[in-house]
Formats: sequence, C-alpha cells, structure tokens
Amino acid sequence: MSEAPPLPSLARNSHIKHCKLCLSGLPSSQVEMDSSRAAVGFYCLGALDLLGAKITDADRAAWRNWLWAQQTRGKYGTGFKPSTYMTPGNDSDYSEYDTPHLIMTYTAMLSLAVLRDDFARLDRPGILHLIRACQREDGSFSALPVGGEADLRTVYCAFVISSLLDDWSGMDVDSAIAYVRRCESHEGGYGQTPFGEALGGTTYCAVACLELAPSTAASPRETRMSPSHRERTIRWLLHNQTASGGFCGRTNKAADACYCFWCGAALSILGAADQVDSAALARFLADCQFKFGGIAKAPSERSDPYHTYLSLAALAIYPPPAADETWKLPSLNVLWNATTETARWARKHIPASN
Amino acid sequence: MVEALEAKKLKEHAKLKEYLALTDEVIVKKNGRDWSRDAFDLTTRVLHVNPEFYTVWNYRRHILVHGIFPTRSVLCTPPEINEILTTDLSLTTAHLKQHPKVYWIWNHRRWCLENVPVGPTEDDPDGWRRANWNKELFVVERMLDADARNFHAWNYRRYVLASTPVQRAEQAELTYTTRKIEANFSNFSAWHQRSKVLTSLWDSGKLDIKKSKEDEYELVKNAMYTDPGDQSVWIYHRWLVEPGNDYEILRREITSIQELLDEQPDSKWCMESLVFYHRLQLRNHSSRLTDTDKQGIVQRCLQLLNDLQAVDSPRRQRYIDLSTEVQKLA
Repeated sequence: MSEAPPLPSLARNSHIKHCKLCLSGLPSSQVEMDSSRAAVGFYCLGALDLLGAKITDADRAAWRNWLWAQQTRGKYGTGFKPSTYMTPGNDSDYSEYDTPHLIMTYTAMLSLAVLRDDFARLDRPGILHLIRACQREDGSFSALPVGGEADLRTVYCAFVISSLLDDWSGMDVDSAIAYVRRCESHEGGYGQTPFGEALGGTTYCAVACLELAPSTAASPRETRMSPSHRERTIRWLLHNQTASGGFCGRTNKAADACYCFWCGAALSILGAADQVDSAALARFLADCQFKFGGIAKAPSERSDPYHTYLSLAALAIYPPPAADETWKLPSLNVLWNATTETARWARKHIPASN
Repeated sequence: MVEALEAKKLKEHAKLKEYLALTDEVIVKKNGRDWSRDAFDLTTRVLHVNPEFYTVWNYRRHILVHGIFPTRSVLCTPPEINEILTTDLSLTTAHLKQHPKVYWIWNHRRWCLENVPVGPTEDDPDGWRRANWNKELFVVERMLDADARNFHAWNYRRYVLASTPVQRAEQAELTYTTRKIEANFSNFSAWHQRSKVLTSLWDSGKLDIKKSKEDEYELVKNAMYTDPGDQSVWIYHRWLVEPGNDYEILRREITSIQELLDEQPDSKWCMESLVFYHRLQLRNHSSRLTDTDKQGIVQRCLQLLNDLQAVDSPRRQRYIDLSTEVQKLA
C-alpha cells in the first residue's frame, strides 16, 4: 500500500484567533445570527476550551456577565435569552416577546461551565419550570414557552439541561422518550420530527437522549432502541462517511464537517467508534481549515464558529493515528458535548447542593 | 486597495447602523402596543433584513389581530381579512425563496392559512380556503423543484396535505412521488415520502399490500439496474424486504441482485445487500435450510465481506466485525 502524504498541522492559533474575533463581533452578512448569539458564543468558547486557549480574566468576567444578563425570569419560569436584542432596558423579567429560549439556555449553561463560573446565580427551580412550560402534549419541547420549533434538537437541549441539573422533575420523561422513538426512520437514525428522513444532527440528539435519561418503570434504558433499529442506525451512520473521509448528514448528500461530529459522536455513543476511519476523517477536516482561521463545512468554503467547534469536537473523539502534536485534543464528554474537564466542573457546580 | 477596504467598512457600518435603528424602533413600538399600519410596515422592513427575528413575526401577527383586522368600528369584513392574509402569503413567498429553511417563515404561513375565513358565500364556504391552500401546495412544489432535498419543504408538504380543508386523494401523492423519483432516482426524499404514503395506503386498506409491493419491486429493480451506485434505491429495497419473513420473495430478490452483481462486480451495494439478505435467510428461515445450505450461505457471506473490505475500504473494520458475526451463525 502506498504511503499517504502526512497530515498537515492543525492550525490551532489561527482557529483561536478566529473564535476570539467572532466573540467580539460578526459582520452584517451574519445578521440572522442575532437571535442566536448565545449559541454562537458557545461554539466559540467550546472551541477555545478544546484548543486550550488562554482567556484573560477581563474577558472571562465580561463574558460571564454578558451571559448572566441573559438569564431572565417570568411567568413561564427562568432561562436564558439568545441576546438582548429584544430588551431595551435592564429588566430581568421578560414579556411574551422576549421569553427565554430552551436552546440558548443549554448553550449558556455550558458556556458558563467553560468559563468556570460558580453558578451561584443560577435559578434552578426557575429553569425546571421553564422546561415544564416548554413540554408539549406530544412529548416534544418547543424552543420557547410560547411556541416555536419543537423537534429533536429542542428535546436534546431539555434533556441535557435536566442532566446538568441532575434533576428530571421538570419533564415527563416517558412522554419525551416516546416522542424520540416516533422520530425513528426506516433508514436507521432519526428524523427531526416524526415522518422525517434521518438526519445526522437529530440522530445524535436522539441517541444521546436515550442514553441520558434515567431508566423509568415504563421506559427502562435497554428497551429504548430495538436491536434491529440499533443495527440499522449504526449501518446508516457508517455509510455516511463518504469517499472524502468526511461525513454527510443524510442519504445521498455531500460531506459537511459538522456531521463529522453529529454522526461520529452518535457512533461513539452506540459503541461503534472503532468502525470509523479516523485517518480519513482527519484528512477531510484538515482540508476544511480556512486559510484565515477557523474550519469550514467543506474544503474551499468560508469558516464559521459552528463548523470550527464541531470539527474540533469530532477530532477529540477520533484522534488521527500518526499525527503531530497539533492534533492532540482533550477528551470529550460525548453526551453533553463539552470537554471532560468542563463536564467535571459542571457536575460539581450546576446541580443544587444538598 | 486600502480605499476599497475603507469604503467596504463604511458601508458595513452604515448597514449595521440602519439595522440597529430599525430594531430599536420596532422594540419601542411593540412595547408601546403600537398596532398601527406604520408599525406593520416597519415589521415588514425588519423581517426583510432578518427573517430569523422571530419576535417580530409574533409582533406582526399581533398587529394584524389587534390593529389591522379591526380597522373599522366593526370587525374587519371577511373579504378584507382574506385579502390581507393572501397578501401576506404572497409577501412571505418572496422571503421563502431567499430563505428556504427558516422555520419562522413557514410558521407564519401556517398561521395565515389557518386564519383564512370561511367564504366567500354560504353556498361556497370553502372557496377562499381552497384557493389559498391549493396555492400553498403549488408554492411547496416550486420549492421542491428548486431543491428536491429541502426537508423543511417536505415536512411542510405533509402538513399541507394533512390539513387542507378539501382533502386530496392519497393516490395523487403517490403519483407525485413517482414523478419526482422518475425525474431523479437519487432523490431520496421522494423515495422516503413514497414509503410514508404507501404505509398509510396499506394500513387503511386502500391498496392491497402484496400487489402494491410487487409493483414497488419492479420500480426499484429498474432504478437499481439504471444506477447501482445510488444509495437511495438500496435503502428503499431493504425497507420493502424487511423483516424478511417471506422466503420466496427473499430468495427471488437475492437472485436478482446476484445477477446485477455479475454484471457489476465492483458494486458495493450489491455485495452489502446480499450479505444482509443472506443473514436474514439464516436468521428467519433456518428451519427450511439443510446444514449444507447454511454452510454454503455462510461461506458466500464471508466471501462477499472479504471483497467489501477491498471495494469499500473506509468501512473495512465494519466488514471484519460482520464476518465474526456471520461465523457465529454457521
């Protein structure tokens, strides 16, 4: 077998610069990210965490304060908003228009853990109340207590928040698990909603949810995925690794760096990580590095924090064999999607102390 | 070069300033419960720049309900409401073309549709709704022509078909999927939709499952032979075969795929499917098989899995693991 060319280096400093820049501001072309600022912040911070970047005390304090400023209380409970874009003043109470957002609550909590916050300001009962307010009759969770998208992504966020709090009293677990199962696709994997095609992202969400939730009488963990669906799912996920080495997110689509995480992480949870070609994966992601910093969805595309973070997270799960020091990344808690160290900190500080 | 960069920076700055001014204005108005026409037009401008600004969609709907619909001293007449909602649907069609995957736009359309009043007359109470819902199906079809794999559009299509006040025959949807599939066998979303429609028709007894499946095997065989490298077809085929309890059909399909493999010796999907179907034979029909038969099948699988390690090398480890599994069935 002929020798493959050596893997180029992971341009760590360049990626750190990209994320730090994005934390300070985004160009007008990204205006649609205004309603997801807390999520963008998480991708940047998560990437900095994985790369072991130095964060100044001033920055750490500023970002922590900004995040806490998004925690808001009201009739549907407490949670984090995406940003202050709908709030003119400094009210910590919200109206119907600027309620907290479930996904942003998840990203804010993880971001604060990255920043080693002590979570003294966290309104735990309030957050449980929010989860309750967001759960719908079909078991899913809406992004906002007043409506919005309700699919496996928001379900995943509700599950991780509960897991972080180590308190599942905010939801009807059985009903939520039943919803997850209704999203099974005949291809293997899980669609975004029932009847949908399997998607890499929501397959990760489903598989993580089924693993995260404690066993209940009606839904013992071992019964949540039939052996045939498990086999189908592993098969579908493995076949998503394309000739380029990267993963695609759906049957017959092109490889995209973020699916290296979504599909790769799902396979890891399902115990099939050893069947992934990690050398090919790293080669693909190496090619996705953007010359001005950050990692893009595909070679020759522009980078962004989302693809940067998820690519690094995928590499943390699948370190390439025979690669230089630049590729060494800390281990990842696959279910919460944070470094093991950050997860440890979260486990210590987020649940209510007895 | 520096001048060009400076100019770009200034333009960027101006854009941001305009956006922030707009959003500030909207916030002030909504806090003041401004339900005026001016406020409505303002939301139009903001949403044009940023359709993800979901609270502004909410505000827009509140303006319609509290401000614009009740414009006279009595509630706005149904024809006027229909007119306004139809206009909003037209407006958001343009948004959709620019942003085909933004949930909030689809969501607003749903709201508009669901609020179209009964009318125009007592004799024709569904006229307006039929018109708007039919147009909606047309819009979704255009979206799917532009991007056949837009799953938001497919989900929305399923919603429209389920919710339209005058129900279409499910068979019509089957025909739609046939059209999309024949246009492009790689359109997995169309195959997927087809599987959902068929399941529904079979469950309700509207189509005889046995006869229907035979038609599907014909369709799939045609697609398989046209492009054996297309994953969609093999997933659909597997869906037809599973759980693999009909021995005759299982054997027939194995023979058919083997014939294709003989013509296309490097086809990984042929090989991979054969392994899977042979395993189904061993798992589900071992009572029909002699020991010699079983040994033969196991050997065949091991041969195929060996070939697959070369032909589909990214998944080498999987095929090695499967070989171990298969040997246990010997």
